[in-house]
Order: sequence, then structure tokens, then C-alpha cells
Amino acid sequence: MNLGAALAKAGKRVILVDADIGLRNLDLVLGLEKRIVFDLVEVAEGRCQLRQALIRDKRFPALWLLPASQTRDKDAVTEEQFAALVDQAARAADYVLIDCPAGIEGGFRNAIAGAAEAILVTTPEVSAIRDADRVVGKLTDRALPMRLIINRLRPEMVHSGDMLCVDDVCEVLAVELLGIVPDDEEVIDTTNRGEPLVLDETNRLAAVYQKIARRLEGEIVPFTTFNNGARQGLFGRLFAGLKAG
Amino acid sequence: MHLLSQNGDPAEGNERRATTGEITKLGRAIVVTSGKGGVGKTTTTANLGTALARRGARVALVDADIGLRNLDILLGLENRVTHHLLDVLEESATLDDALIPDKHSENLYLLAAAQSREKEDVDTEKMCALVASLRERFDYVLIDSPAGIERGFRNAVAGAQEAIVVCTPEVSAVRDVDRVVGLLGNRFRPQLIINRLRPQLVQKGKMLSVEDVDAILRLPLLGVIADEPQIIVTTNRGEPLALRRDGATANAYHAIAARVAGENVAMPTVELKKQSFLERLLRGGRA
Repeated sequence: MNLGAALAKAGKRVILVDADIGLRNLDLVLGLEKRIVFDLVEVAEGRCQLRQALIRDKRFPALWLLPASQTRDKDAVTEEQFAALVDQAARAADYVLIDCPAGIEGGFRNAIAGAAEAILVTTPEVSAIRDADRVVGKLTDRALPMRLIINRLRPEMVHSGDMLCVDDVCEVLAVELLGIVPDDEEVIDTTNRGEPLVLDETNRLAAVYQKIARRLEGEIVPFTTFNNGARQGLFGRLFAGLKAG
Repeated sequence: MHLLSQNGDPAEGNERRATTGEITKLGRAIVVTSGKGGVGKTTTTANLGTALARRGARVALVDADIGLRNLDILLGLENRVTHHLLDVLEESATLDDALIPDKHSENLYLLAAAQSREKEDVDTEKMCALVASLRERFDYVLIDSPAGIERGFRNAVAGAQEAIVVCTPEVSAVRDVDRVVGLLGNRFRPQLIINRLRPQLVQKGKMLSVEDVDAILRLPLLGVIADEPQIIVTTNRGEPLALRRDGATANAYHAIAARVAGENVAMPTVELKKQSFLERLLRGGRA
């Protein structure tokens, strides 16, 4: 949502696709939940046109949402239908961002069916990284190029050795880094209110998402490093496990 | 819905016959679920299991997140997994082979998920039978559900009689829980744990309060867990926070365990400790 808003703010035409059929949320965090008329499943089934289902964002005229259906199952749409739908969206926009459901089941397979690239989001926790590593395997099978966003990093915990640092995460996953988003209470508040935080220029995280958007555009933007000076001995055991597993 | 047909009446068949012929009660199978990912299902399962075991109950933790297992990491048992849930379901291992005794807590066992298999590989009926046989041996069978509402969720729910839903105070998480409660229907008597509450944010009006969540979900509240860095540290280390005897969050888990066991423990109002500048400095130095 924030990445989409950042891209739209930079003048790109962006379509956000909520692929979490049955558990949609992208409409809520954009504050568009009351504007839904048609949804993704209805487009896939040919019961309406894509343009009828797209909802224009309240604040960014170049940002559109294709909402998921809330009352249907993930298997209401086939991978082929999904790929065709994303293809159609891609012809109308500069970016189609597909919000993938959690897990690696049918919903995940649908969400990646039409994608040409993947952004992997993980938190710097051992359990999240193991899950991400499994997803890397799945994406590699599909030959999807991918980049990594490390989310909810707490610099003070990295510093005290209580959290994995950026280098550690990148080392385990061996995926090119796209961005680092620190843990910030503003994220919870703005998503609850349905306002992308890139709206507020003074927001600390707005700059973070804008940097990520610029990197997607191919610019080389330096990273703010949150690495711990000394390597963390504490996690040695866990790494060994992760690498072996 | 299909989910419900898998599940017998919870009041039915709650007894087992011990070898001596006396009738004892079957254990309780409770699924821990949420809809949304990353809200703390696995952390809750590990800590609640640890807290129940500390009370002397025999507890089995079942990781139903096939392909994305994590419960073994949180318990620090990742190197001890030799057999897993699917081995038992496919009869290539016995339950005794696959149940891994916990390092820290007596009476606590883990049945790990398969990491290299798919959720679709699970036969729902066999899953029900497995949970039923665990109920004969344990007082509590806690089933850690994968995120979402797909096949993995349905398998996790299949053998359970009760549900604990975990929700963070965010509108998206609340909506997902609301949907999951709808899918669960009436049989599972879902109870709510609110996770990762930040009292300071609630006070500033920047986070939903316990009352806000309650007003939407209207579920019996089992407990509230504050967002605290120690949770991340302990999960990374594989030592659940509930192993500790003191500390607000450890106590919150112990209180939840007591409530699950049927004790009437007063719900503490989440205390808002006013941190002085000095305290914050000290915390920063320690954390």
C-alpha cells in the first residue's frame, strides 16, 4: 500500500491487486472499503470489466485498487484466470502490485501466477526468515526475479544484539536488498486510519518508502545501515540450523 | 459449511477408558488461529503450551503449518526433529517416534510439521484421528494453525473442539479474525487473545483499545499480551517467555493458562506504566 502510494506520488500509474480472497485488507488500509462495487473474482469470471472493478484512490489519482472478494474462497479463481487478469492490468498501468496472502497454498500460487517480479517481505526474526527462505525456493522454481524488504527492524535491538541485523538477513536469504523499513508506531496508526503514510512529507517512513520506489525505478539509492558493529555470536546456532534446513 | 461436518460435538465422547478400567476424561484439543499472518499464533501456542505444562498438565503442541513450520524454532527444538506430522499420518512413524519432548518443560511435547511437503498432502480424516489419539494421552492438544483460511487452516481446525483466536489491535487483523470466527461457526466456542498491545499508543489514541476490539468481535477474552521486545528475543533463542516465573508478560501467559484450565483469574487492566525519562534510559541500556 505504501509502496504503491509512493510510486503513484512519483507520477506512475499503479494498480494494487488484493489477492487475499476471503481475507481482504488492502481496501481497509487505503480507506476504500465503502467504495467496493465489483471485485477480483467477478472480473475473473467475466461478470464485469476490469475498469468497472478498479477503485480510484481518494488521494492519488494515479493509484487504483482491485479489491479481493471477501465472501469467496481462494480457489474461486484459477492461476490462468489470475495471470490473464494481471496481464490486462499491466497493459493499463506502469506497475501492478499484487498483495499476496500469507502462506504458500493456492492463494500464494494464484498471486504469483501473473507476476514478472517478486518483492519478498520479512521481519528480522528467525521464524519469519525461515518462512521467507521457503518462499525464495518456491519463487526460484518459477524463475521469478526477487528482491527483499526487511520490515519492522528495531535499530536499538539490532544494536544491543537482540535482533538480527540487515547483513545477517541478507546472508541467510541471499536475495538482493530493496529496502529496510524500521518498526514505527506510525505504520499501525496510519493503516488503521486508512491513510498511506507517504501522504505526510514529514513522516520518517515516507522517505523510506519513497526510496524503495526509486530503487524499483532503477535508481541507485544508498541504504541507511542498521547493522550491529560486532557480529552476533548469539545467533550462530540459529544460522547453522537455518542454513542446514 | 464443510469445516463443521469434520467436527464432532465437543461434549460427545469426552471420556477415555484407562487400562485399569476406570474412566478418565479425554484431553482438550484447541486450535490457535487468526486468519492474518504474523499476529503471533505460533508464539502464543509455544507460550501457552509452556505455561500449561508448568501447571502440571500434559501438553502436546501440533505444528499444522506444513511447509512453513516454526514452532520447533520457538521451542529451540529445530535440531531434534526427526519425524513429523505427515510421517505419522502416513504411518511411516509412530506417534512415539514423532513426539519430541521439550527441553525446558516436563510434560510438554512437540509434533513438528513437515517442512518440505504441502498442506494438500494432509488427509483431513486422518488428521482428526491423530488429534483424537493425542487427546487420549494428553490433557491439552494445542494445534498451531497456518495463516489464512485455505486447506491448511481447515486441516488444523478439523480435529479441534475449541478455538483460540489471536488478534493484534489493528483493523485488518480484527477483520480477519471476524471472518475466521464466522467460518468456525458455533462449535468451537472461540476465545480471544489480544496480542502486541502497546498501551502507550492506545493512550495516545493511535491504537485500538481492548474495548474497541471487544466491541467489534464480542468474544470471550482470554487475555491481553503487551508488545514487548523480549518476545522477539525469546522466540529467536528458542526459550518461550512463559518459562520465566515473573515479569508482566510471563505472568500474562500464566494467567491465560489458568483461564484455559477453567480458573477464574481476574483480568488485569493493562497497566500504563508512566515511564520517566530515567526509566526509559535504563530500559534502553538494558534491552
